[in-house]
Amino acid sequence: MTNKINEQQSIPVSKVQRAAKFISTGAKVGGNYMKHYAKKVVNPAMTKDELHRNNATDIYDSLSELKGSALKVAQMMAMDKNMLPGAYQDKFTMAQYSAPPLSYPLVVKTFNQYFKKGPENLFDTFTTSAANAASIGQVHKATKGDKVFAVKIQYPGVGSSVKSDLKLVKPFALRLLNMNERELDNYMEEVEEKLLEETDYKLEVIRSKEISQACSHIKGLNFPKYYEEMSSARVITMDWMEGKHLKEWLQTNPSQEARDKVGQIMWDFYDHQVHQLKQVHADPHPGNFIIQEGDELAVIDFGCVKVIPEEFYSGYFSLIKKDLLIKEDELDQIFYDLEFISDRDSAEEKNYFKNTFKEMISLLGKPFHVDTFDFADDNYFQMIFALGDKISNDKMFRKSKQARGSRHGLYINRTYFGLYNLLNQLQANIKTTKPDWIKN
Amino acid sequence: MTEKTKNSHTDKNKIIDGYISYILETGSEPVSVFKFTKDMKMKEAVFYEYFSSFGAVKKAVWELIFDNTIQALESQEIYQSYTSREKLLGFLFTWIEELKNKRSYLLAVYGNVSLKNQSYPSELKGFKAKFKDFASGIVNEGKESEEIAERPYLTDKYQEAMWLQVMFVFRFWLKDDSPAFEKTDAAIEKSVNLAFDLMGRSAIDSFVDFAKFLFQSK
Repeated sequence: MTNKINEQQSIPVSKVQRAAKFISTGAKVGGNYMKHYAKKVVNPAMTKDELHRNNATDIYDSLSELKGSALKVAQMMAMDKNMLPGAYQDKFTMAQYSAPPLSYPLVVKTFNQYFKKGPENLFDTFTTSAANAASIGQVHKATKGDKVFAVKIQYPGVGSSVKSDLKLVKPFALRLLNMNERELDNYMEEVEEKLLEETDYKLEVIRSKEISQACSHIKGLNFPKYYEEMSSARVITMDWMEGKHLKEWLQTNPSQEARDKVGQIMWDFYDHQVHQLKQVHADPHPGNFIIQEGDELAVIDFGCVKVIPEEFYSGYFSLIKKDLLIKEDELDQIFYDLEFISDRDSAEEKNYFKNTFKEMISLLGKPFHVDTFDFADDNYFQMIFALGDKISNDKMFRKSKQARGSRHGLYINRTYFGLYNLLNQLQANIKTTKPDWIKN
Repeated sequence: MTEKTKNSHTDKNKIIDGYISYILETGSEPVSVFKFTKDMKMKEAVFYEYFSSFGAVKKAVWELIFDNTIQALESQEIYQSYTSREKLLGFLFTWIEELKNKRSYLLAVYGNVSLKNQSYPSELKGFKAKFKDFASGIVNEGKESEEIAERPYLTDKYQEAMWLQVMFVFRFWLKDDSPAFEKTDAAIEKSVNLAFDLMGRSAIDSFVDFAKFLFQSK
C-alpha cells in the first residue's frame, strides 16, 4: 500500500502494547522461529523463502485463514497493516509449510512414485532447481517438444501436518483474535478443511478445469491448460504462463488505462464466480496472478476454492444493497441466519451488534453501491481500518463470548478483502458490475 | 557368466528368498539349518557352501539391499552430476524404496529390536562396511567441491555420522505410519540438509579460526 509509512508513524499506543503481548506469547510457542532463524544464520543461502515472504506481504494474507466473523476481518486489516511483524505472517500463512526447497533427488523420487518414470523421461528438459516457490511446494520449468510446462510439486507430508500445525497456531489465534476456544474451533474446522483441500492436487486440477472453462468467456482472462495424465496427488503439470507478477508489472509504470483494464478483468472474474458459479477462487493473492502481454490476466493457482452455499449467498449479499429496504423482522432473520446474533444475546446486545454489523457491511459494500468505484481511494481503506480498530477495542465485543458471523463468511470476506486490496495496489477504477437483484 | 557361477548365484538367492519367506510365514527363525534345507528340498551342504549360519543370511539380505540401491542409483544418468548432498539424498530415497520391498520381513525381524546406541545387530556389519565406503566417497567429493569443510579430526568421523543417520532413517521408517511413508521422505530431506549445513563451512569455523588467532597472537 502506498501510504504504509505514514500509517506506521501513527500507531496508537494500545497497538504497541498488543504487539508486545503477541511477542511474549510468541516466545513460548516460538521455538520454531528460533530453529528457522538459526538455520538462516548457518546457511544464508536459505533466502529462497524470501520468495514466500514476498508472496505473503499482503496484509489480508497473514491472518485471514484464522479470522472469524465478518467483523473481525476488519479488525484484522487494521492489525495487519500496522503492526504484525513479518515473522507472524509466516506463521499464519500456508507459506509456513513450505520449509526449504525440495532437493532434486526428492523430486525424482516423487515422480517415480506416481509415474514410475523420472522427470527426465517424462519431459525433454526439466530444471533441476525450482523456478518458483508455490505455497506448499515448488514449481519447476519443463519442456517437451515445443511446449513449455510449469510442474508444481508438493512437499511430502504436508497434508498430514495440517492438523498439528493448526494446533500450534491456536494459542496465537486465541490471543490475537480475542476469541474464546469454542468460537475459534468453529472456524478452525473450516480452515482445516480448506487447507486439506489445498494439499489435494487432484482436486485442484479438477477445479481448475471447471472454473477455467466456466470463465473462458471473460475477455482478457487466461488460464493455463492442465495435463491430468502428468498430474497426481502431489504433482500438477500445466502450461507455463509467460508474464509478470503484479509487483513487477507495477514497477514498469503501466498507464492508468492498463491498470483499469487489468483490474476490471479481475473484478469480472470474481463477479462471475461469486454470483454465477457460486464457487470462488478464495485466494486473491498477488502470487496467484500473472499479467501478460497486452495487459491480460492469467490465473495460475486454484488451491483454495470456496463453494458458497445458497442460504449464505442470499443472506450475505442482500445486506450489501445500498438502502436496506428490507423489513426489520426480515433483517433479523438474515442476521440470525448468518449467525451474527443468536438467541443467547440480550435485547441490548442484539441491537448493538445489529447496528455495528450494518455499519460495517454498508462500508464493505460501498463499491457495490455505485457504478464505478475508484480503488485508488485510500480514504476508503482508512475508513475500514478505523472501523476495524473501533471494533477491536470495543467493550461489547470483548465481553461477548460468542462466535459472530457464519463460518462461510470467513473465506468470502477473505476473498473480498484480497480483491479490494489487489485493486488498491493496482490503483484501478472499476465498473463494479453486480447481479440485478443487488442493484437498487 | 559360466554355468557354474550362474547356478551358484541362483542357489544363493534361493536360500535368501526361502529364508525371508520362512520368517514371513512363521514369524520366527527356522529351528535348524537341517530343517530349513529339507523344506527347501536342498542338501544341507549347499547351504553351508554360501552361509555359515542364519545370521550370515540376514547379513546377506542387508548387503543385497545395498547393492541393489547402488545399482539403481547408478542407472540414473543424472546421478553422476549430483552434488554430495544430493548423492546422499538420492541414496537414502532409493534405499528406502528397496527396503519397502522387504518391509514385512524387516518389521518381523527388527520391529521389536531397539536399534539404539552401539548395539546394532551384528548382521549389519557387512552393510555398514559397504556404506562407509560409499560415504567416504561422498565426503571426499564434498571436500573437493568445498561442500564439506575440512576440519581436523572431525572430518574423519563424518562417515560414522552418516551411518548413524542411515540407522536413524531406518528406525524412523520402521515406525512411520504415514501414507506412502511421506514422513520418512521429509525426515530424510530435513536430516540430510541439516547434516550438510553442519558439515559445510559456517560461522563456527570462522569463530574457531578467530579464537585460534587471538590465542596464538597473545
